[in-house]
Amino acid sequence: MRAAFRYLGRGSWLSGRDPRVLILAPLLLVVASSQLSDIRQLLVVVVLAYGYYSLARIPWHSVRAQWLYLLAVIGFYSLLNGLIAGGRVGVFAESEPHVLWTIPPFGWDITAEAISVAATRFVRVIALALVGFPIAFAMAPGDFGVALRRLGLPDRLAVMVDLTVRFIPTISDEFSDTVDAQRVRGYDPTARRGGPITRIRRMAPVFVPMTVGSLAGAEDTIDAMDLRAFGTGRRVWYRALHFEWMDWLVVGAFGTVVVTAMALNWAGLSEHYLLPFLVR
Amino acid sequence: MTTMTQAAPSPWSITTRTIVYAAIGAAIYAVLNYLSFGIQVPWSQEVSIRPQYGVVTFVGFTFGPIAGFLTGFVGNTVGDQLAYQDGFGYWWWSVANGLAGFVAGLFPLWMASRMTSAGSKAVTAAVAGVVATVVGFLFIFVEMAILPESTFDVMLTLNYIPVVIVNSIAAAVVTPILVLAWEPLRDQLGR
Repeated sequence: MRAAFRYLGRGSWLSGRDPRVLILAPLLLVVASSQLSDIRQLLVVVVLAYGYYSLARIPWHSVRAQWLYLLAVIGFYSLLNGLIAGGRVGVFAESEPHVLWTIPPFGWDITAEAISVAATRFVRVIALALVGFPIAFAMAPGDFGVALRRLGLPDRLAVMVDLTVRFIPTISDEFSDTVDAQRVRGYDPTARRGGPITRIRRMAPVFVPMTVGSLAGAEDTIDAMDLRAFGTGRRVWYRALHFEWMDWLVVGAFGTVVVTAMALNWAGLSEHYLLPFLVR
Repeated sequence: MTTMTQAAPSPWSITTRTIVYAAIGAAIYAVLNYLSFGIQVPWSQEVSIRPQYGVVTFVGFTFGPIAGFLTGFVGNTVGDQLAYQDGFGYWWWSVANGLAGFVAGLFPLWMASRMTSAGSKAVTAAVAGVVATVVGFLFIFVEMAILPESTFDVMLTLNYIPVVIVNSIAAAVVTPILVLAWEPLRDQLGR
């Protein structure tokens, strides 16, 4: 499996937007979703986020695995851990919980409150993922650096992020090569047995040579940048960005969601909502 | 004979070397986060077994606090974006990773006089990794102020303690191994 940002949404309406829009939208939605606790309001946010996501025209078959992983694994663990937490949070903390059933061997109470809180957390993650996908799939990987620079990040840090994104496919290939080389020596990357320490130790023959080799190879990059006088003056970026009225419109829409969410929170209108069909 | 001396750069300066080493560290962290994202810690809230976490403390310990912070912060953000398409959703976890790298980078500044041999350096690296994890990940308690359903008990028992245990093990095992592997190369490279 090769790790890389894939530009699947190339040519879509969203990919034609200024890349700063694709970074600002999830940032704003993070703020908005953190203000909301009511699952009904978060479901409205999910609908809006889905509208935004659909503008990226990301082919379903190409991201099916990611979505299934997100829905199944993250959803399962969110629900499982939400249940263990007992749902005694927020407005539910002081009230008597509605016990639906008890898991026999452990005596854990499964409450309507716990399921409601877990569902709320799950819906929030889905909303964030919907606006996060376009960053990975509808933004040219080469635009990360310049977009962050134009958002106010210092040149050196923008270059650092740019380099990180560019290094990912290289590092990923190096990882595969190292696994193959170690497999020839008898290493079994598919072994699943053992606890955390065993698993960590089992990965050492892969990531130690990979890490040390990559860092040793960085000297060429450092020399190349130093020879081009990196960091001695103001940097000029090849790609020019222009924020158009449509970009303002999208950012403005997300800004409106943030303001609305904050207003609901401050007014006390976004408390945890007990799913009614659980307590009938 | 003419000799030329060059002052060592301040650990707080952001040089080309800081940028490139941090970028490589972050890329390694992100890629390995992506490739091992399926190993969840049971009975925890989205805490994963991440042996690659040792790369964060190693970069901090070896290349300084700034490189450590950037490796942890950017690596975790990009890794989450690759794995979950949600790099910003839990930004406080990324900051916590960055702080761990930062704290690990402070140890060589405080304890330079005690690191006289490769063995003592490895032991210091292991201690630095564990302390950095315990201190850096305190930042995740910020979640209580951000997400309404998070309580102190949940944060402590289902997030902080599992992640500190798992990451401390990773840091204590991986950081000294990487330090010992890097030292001879560092001498060869003249850094």
